[in-house]
Amino acid sequence: MRLVVNGNEVNCGDGLTVSELLVEQKVKMPDMVSVELNGQILRRSEFESTALKEEDKVEFLYFMGGGGAFHGTN
Amino acid sequence: MKADTLAIHGGFSGDSDSGATAVPIYQTVSYAFKTAQELADVFDGKAPGYIYTRIANPTTTALELRISELEDGIGCIATSSGMAAIASVAMGLVRAGDEIVAAAGIFGGTVSLFENTLGRFGVKTKLVDAGVTEQFKEAVSANTKMVFVETIGNPRMDVPDIPAIAEIAHQANVPFLVDNTVTTPFLIKPKHLGADIVIHSTSKFINGHGTAIGGAIIDTGNYDWRKGPFEDIKQLSERVGQLAFLAHLRNLIYRDLGGCPAPMNSFLMLQGLETLSGRIVKHCENAEKLAQYLQGHPNVCWVNYPGLPSSTFRSRVVKLFNGRGGGLLTFGLGDKEKAFRFIDSLKLAKNLANLGDAKTLVIHPSSTIFHEFNIAEQNKMGVGEDMIRVSVGIEDFEDIKADFEQAIERTFEVQK
Repeated sequence: MRLVVNGNEVNCGDGLTVSELLVEQKVKMPDMVSVELNGQILRRSEFESTALKEEDKVEFLYFMGGGGAFHGTN
Repeated sequence: MKADTLAIHGGFSGDSDSGATAVPIYQTVSYAFKTAQELADVFDGKAPGYIYTRIANPTTTALELRISELEDGIGCIATSSGMAAIASVAMGLVRAGDEIVAAAGIFGGTVSLFENTLGRFGVKTKLVDAGVTEQFKEAVSANTKMVFVETIGNPRMDVPDIPAIAEIAHQANVPFLVDNTVTTPFLIKPKHLGADIVIHSTSKFINGHGTAIGGAIIDTGNYDWRKGPFEDIKQLSERVGQLAFLAHLRNLIYRDLGGCPAPMNSFLMLQGLETLSGRIVKHCENAEKLAQYLQGHPNVCWVNYPGLPSSTFRSRVVKLFNGRGGGLLTFGLGDKEKAFRFIDSLKLAKNLANLGDAKTLVIHPSSTIFHEFNIAEQNKMGVGEDMIRVSVGIEDFEDIKADFEQAIERTFEVQK
């Protein structure tokens, strides 16, 4: 399955959940990250139950730093 | 997870290193990094990390995540007080020449912030009757940048038609702010009625024990910042999408104003949240019983509780809060002198400036929290000289009733 993660194409296994993607992408400080799926911020309680689909656009966002809100993966 | 569970488990699932189940209190100003490059990367926005507690703190993060979940928000910023929350949001939205439209019966501190403090910077505030929706429509102009209401006006006890006012704000393309302090997400989640930003004074029902001052700002995700009249936030939205407003606050307004909570206070708010769902129900039940008791008392001139069947706001209480009228009520014994005598005669209830505590609290608003406003201004805000405000606690109702009964009796005995 092909996803677009923070603007980059990523290949991963079918049916991957958002929680699993956070682990697979080695997202830093996963407790702090906000996940935007196809333009909408996903509720944290939905990370485990949300399965990703082909060509989904996922953005990992933080708004906690000193330098500004930004994208972050690894 | 359902709300009752989120209040206990949201935002923190236990400390992986120690196994601690309570959120640790990170009583620290700053955070060390192993290398100069790592810290530079965080400052540069290339990596996530805690820098300084004025911007973010892990204990406070747990609180923010939990409150955001409870309000079905996309994110939250916790603040040092409810006023810091409102000040941060307002200063993040308005500039000199802009206007705020707000309900007139809201907390006096909020009115003072809008009219006096922000007034000094060239911001104009129009106060309207929360119960008359058309007044919001008439007040909104091309300069309006935000519309503000409380779910139940304190102390006017009026209930705005939240969905209808949301529509008016959205027709004007401005965000609709709802202060949910007195109802909490267990009575209403304003997001689902059109609120764009929800605000709390967490010092009240969320804390629940009168032990810490705090506030919270929640972006519900309803407002499209890409299309609003705020150029700086619009630009941010190109980078961070829906989180643009919270990022605007975190990285500019909130950071610069310095209204961050103490980590210990965030911990106390987390503790309070765990029992909020049970407490708020009892607050409402006791308030309803007390309102009914006072209404039937021959010496009581008037009672204002939106949950009473006789209240003009009863239908909105049913529609918006599932029939629960909150934990606050006001009543009058005829004049200021009797109000003072009554307060002086109470034995159980405390006379102090707070609400939402487990303990029953009373105050004479006109001479205390509204003292800076003259009588005409007070009347406009729904405050009369004989008004006594009660924040009904969660003690056994019979004890609250007995205390009020003996205090009313003594008030009128002295008069004879």
